[in-house]
Amino acid sequence: MTAAVSAALAAMVAFTLVAPRLGDRLPPAAAARVLTIGSLVVAASTGFALSVLALTWLGQSPPIAWLAEWSASELDAASPVPAFVAIIGLALLSAASLRLVIRAARRGRALIDVHRAHHGTSNAVIVVDSEQPDAFTTPWPGGRIVLTSALLAALTPAEQRVVIAHERAHLRHQHAWWLLLADLAEAANPLLRPTVGVVQHAVERWADEEAALVIGDRTLVARTVARVALLRHDTNARQVAPAATGGHVPRRVQALLSARPRRQPWLTMALVLLLACSFLATFAVQRTGDALFDQVATVQDR
Amino acid sequence: MPRRTKGSLERAVQAVLSAHQEAMTTAQVRDALGGDLAYTTVLTVLTRLFDKGDIVREPVGRGYAYSAPYAPADLTARRMASLLGERDDDRAAVLTSFVDRLGPGDEHLLRSLLDR
Repeated sequence: MTAAVSAALAAMVAFTLVAPRLGDRLPPAAAARVLTIGSLVVAASTGFALSVLALTWLGQSPPIAWLAEWSASELDAASPVPAFVAIIGLALLSAASLRLVIRAARRGRALIDVHRAHHGTSNAVIVVDSEQPDAFTTPWPGGRIVLTSALLAALTPAEQRVVIAHERAHLRHQHAWWLLLADLAEAANPLLRPTVGVVQHAVERWADEEAALVIGDRTLVARTVARVALLRHDTNARQVAPAATGGHVPRRVQALLSARPRRQPWLTMALVLLLACSFLATFAVQRTGDALFDQVATVQDR
Repeated sequence: MPRRTKGSLERAVQAVLSAHQEAMTTAQVRDALGGDLAYTTVLTVLTRLFDKGDIVREPVGRGYAYSAPYAPADLTARRMASLLGERDDDRAAVLTSFVDRLGPGDEHLLRSLLDR
């Protein structure tokens, strides 16, 4: 069992190290999908491995041993996991669960607030009177595109079409939910932070590429992204982002000024293979864990 | 009278206030709604609408009189504007924005890319 748990944790760590690097080289739609699903898989696998570790120690407490019908002393003798390792597992699992529950509750409340805000209108595009140039999309179901009057006033009709095409792509592919899932995986496992950063960038690139297809002019899309970012920057010069979150806009513009990204089936395969390893290791944790707890059961199955 | 959900009662109160030119007290709103609603129920709904900024109120005697000065389209725009204003981490996580804020140095890089 120790080997299986170590393998599951190693697969998780390998994913958190490799995924951001490979993800940056994948076309955006593939990167967003594979990295989000991968983040969920390794976060769940790690949670399961930690639960089994924790149970080798928790299971020795008399009430749990009695409920589960196994012998506490035999479990103590048979368990290959030292008590301190199991306790660390329990502590990590508790911290991750708490962080996940808090994050999910806060994001859930924001979702409800946003949903309530556009209650009562049927317009797909809502223009808000504001001096702040801004554009965003609210999530499915009932997602709306919100643009400010200041942004529309500053853009040419062609540039306005680019912004709307970009936001429509967010709606069509339910980008808000991919981002939310990646964000929750990161809440459960902070090692995924770089991966989730790549997912956020990939989702914007995905919408940029769709807009470029719809509009048929990559340079125009690049110029619009740059112009809107500079407009926002000029109206609100004090709001400089921390260095860690910066750098996305110039990379988007540069990517649009180069050729459309090509498919990278080999890189995608490499990530899928890594996730398959994570699956296998998790399965092994489940098998060996079951074997351990069967071995110490007071009621034998015949 | 059929049971009403919280949301449908809010909409009914909003409709009553919008239909009247003058401000209405809680008792007047309750009478206009008809049926057997409790005074406190109507007061709760009015307070909730006021807290959301959907209606306004003025002190009358010991209580308040309420009115609904905004057209439905204005109301949505007002609520959306509040999404623009208070964009905390949670809001940012559920909304997909067209562009992030710029990092240090991004401005010069972008201007040089635009000039190309």
